[in-house]
Amino acid sequence: MSLQPIVLRASAVKKAYRIARRALPILHGCDLELARGERLALMGPSGAGKSTFLHVLGLLDRPDSGHVEINGADAWSMGVDGRARLRNASLGFVFQFYHLVAELTAVENVLLPSLIGLNTFEFDRRRKELDGRATELLVRFGLKERLKHRPTQLSGGERQRVALARALFHDPPILIADEPTGNLDRETGEKVLELLFEEQARRQLSLLLVTHDERLAERCERVARMDAGRIQNGLRA
Amino acid sequence: MNETETLTEVTKSSALLDLALALGGFALFSLLVVAVAYVVMRVLFLAIPAPAVVRFLSWRYLIHRPTNLIGVVGIFLGVGALIMILSIMTGFLEQTRTSMRGSLSDMILLLPGTEAPRRPYDAQKILEVVRADPRVEAASAHLSWPCFLTREGGNSLLMLSDPQRSRHAFVQLAGIDVEDEKTSTEFHASLVRPPTYGESVADPTAPFAPPPEYDSSMGIPRASVILGDQLFAAHRLRRGDFVTLIIPVRDPQSEYGFAAKEREFVVAGSFRSSENEMDLERIYVERGQLARFMAGANEEDELPRGAMNVSQVLIKLRNYETDRDATQLELYDALKDKRLIDSSCQLATWEEFRGPLLGAIENERVLLGIMLSLVLLVACFTVFAILSMMVSEKRRDIGILTALGATPRLSLMVFLAIGFWDALIGAFLGACTGVVLALKIDGIERWLSAALDVQIFNRNVYIFDTIPSVVEPLAVGAIVLGAFLCTLLFAAIPAWRAARLDPVEALRNE
Ligand SMILES: Nc1ncnc2c1ncn2[C@@H]1O[C@H](COP(=O)(O)OP(=O)(O)OP(=O)(O)O)[C@@H](O)[C@H]1O
Ligand SMILES: [Mg+2]
Repeated sequence: MSLQPIVLRASAVKKAYRIARRALPILHGCDLELARGERLALMGPSGAGKSTFLHVLGLLDRPDSGHVEINGADAWSMGVDGRARLRNASLGFVFQFYHLVAELTAVENVLLPSLIGLNTFEFDRRRKELDGRATELLVRFGLKERLKHRPTQLSGGERQRVALARALFHDPPILIADEPTGNLDRETGEKVLELLFEEQARRQLSLLLVTHDERLAERCERVARMDAGRIQNGLRA
Repeated sequence: MNETETLTEVTKSSALLDLALALGGFALFSLLVVAVAYVVMRVLFLAIPAPAVVRFLSWRYLIHRPTNLIGVVGIFLGVGALIMILSIMTGFLEQTRTSMRGSLSDMILLLPGTEAPRRPYDAQKILEVVRADPRVEAASAHLSWPCFLTREGGNSLLMLSDPQRSRHAFVQLAGIDVEDEKTSTEFHASLVRPPTYGESVADPTAPFAPPPEYDSSMGIPRASVILGDQLFAAHRLRRGDFVTLIIPVRDPQSEYGFAAKEREFVVAGSFRSSENEMDLERIYVERGQLARFMAGANEEDELPRGAMNVSQVLIKLRNYETDRDATQLELYDALKDKRLIDSSCQLATWEEFRGPLLGAIENERVLLGIMLSLVLLVACFTVFAILSMMVSEKRRDIGILTALGATPRLSLMVFLAIGFWDALIGAFLGACTGVVLALKIDGIERWLSAALDVQIFNRNVYIFDTIPSVVEPLAVGAIVLGAFLCTLLFAAIPAWRAARLDPVEALRNE
């Protein structure tokens, strides 16, 4: 396993929020490595800065200093467009609160990465194929009867499965999940996690999973712990 | 229930049916426009290399937020009203110009009343010089004089005491030469046009011949007059009636320098011009007869030497638009060189002559344009307000799009595109409706007036029988383009705000 290349590397990431002219440091130089096909759990108390760190890794929030490398390229020194392309093609994101677009059906929500990544002409040309793929993914996730449903017509578990399908639609090498079961009851959460791990194994995904659940962390190859903006066990041994 | 009641019932219910049909037609029309807009959208976005989500999501947002309709309806109303009202105003302007032109000829040479001992203007020589100009198509001499109209057993004094109707007593006598008048003004047309209230002359080719109703064996009166349609009606005249005209003439013996003269005339008929004003206060008489009347000579006598016989010369050009300025200058100089006119005379184009009225209508048009543009501005502001609301509401979506690979520019485009649909549907629907309404306004007004039982456009007040309207394609294009750009500009502000939103904050919590 240790022979696998590093796909995601964070080094010395610092981040502070400025509130009323005073800097409130959240991340105090965090290091993290994630190898290809690896499952890494990130645990820590509430307010430790896990989500903040994930947003930096997910190229959504700029760090004050430090680097994030994705497949060896320094993402935060790229231009806006380059970073947007990385988010679109190389990163999958699953949130605690699903974050589906209310106006779109389940299938359309899954298609979103393609809607963003392709121009209108390309999208129209490949519409059939893309529709087929999205449908197939949702059917595999047990949502055969829910394809044309809108998020408000779906249960929490169903919504999270749609969100997972959306994150996987572009087949990204890296999947970042921030408490994906935090909002679900145990049983529903289990089902979503089964799907998540199954897809991870099948696609040889690098999974970074934030969770409060120790039993869940046990199913990961490595567990990094975060406390007050510092990470232990972030690097490979 | 009597017959008329049944009739009103029938018209009322058919009016309702018409209304239902019209509304249904409009709904169908709107659907068509939305369909066309959708097709335009698909084609347009194939051409622009924008990510597919711009078209997809903006359209979805638009359909799922009925509040967007307010913006569309606002633009629709603004554009429609602007096009309709401006078309009507343009129609008014053009109609007024043409009708004035008909009665005014192209140019008018004003020869102010002579103060003795100046010798009178020589109408014949002036006409010769004017007609010698190759640019002049026709010219005719007029002798205009104020007069007071009475009739035997009539109620002229009653009219005088009534400010509303006193204009029917004080009128303008226009002395004309029939043959010249036919070629240079619309005199002939006003004789053959069917009268609204009056009675046409018996023979338009010889309008001043004694009417058949007149018994010529009496010998008096010997000259005829033709009255304006409304004047004719106001005095309840019939063809062959006698009227007495009283005019002021120069009289050095009198304390005030003038005295009154009266003479009886026979009514040969009425004329209806294209200008309300003329039908109210003009009486045509043969120029020679008016000159004799003013000079105190009998109808059959020679006109005394030195008698005033012309006060205006009306000139019609072959090509008014191109020759106007040059002719005006050169003709005036030629007449002056030959000492036929003096510096108190004026050669004016008809536009100069009626400048103030045309200017007033033009002014009104500009003012209405500005006011209705404000409606459009309000509509644009509605779009701005709705989009601002949507951007706040959709913060989370902007965060999601960003997480899935959208740039700030893409978020901007999504919201700008919503403004684009508002403008596309609103402006297109407004333009089509405005043009249709402008073209059909007369029928619509008649129908509405009948259905609501009130008169919306009082045709008696204006010069026109129909509500005029002229649709200028260029103006329609400018309005649509203006509405479009204005909407996009206003939509750009919230769209820009969307691009500046922090995606993380929106994603942090539910
Ligand atoms: N926009 C902000 N401005 C100021 N402080 C912030 C902001 N966002 C987050 N914080 C603070 O940063 C700290 C870390 O927050 P973060 O969401 O990363 O914690 P977390 O580890 O994900 O906690 P949880 O397990 O509850 O999700 C918190 O103390 C929070 O109050
Ligand atoms: Mg968190």
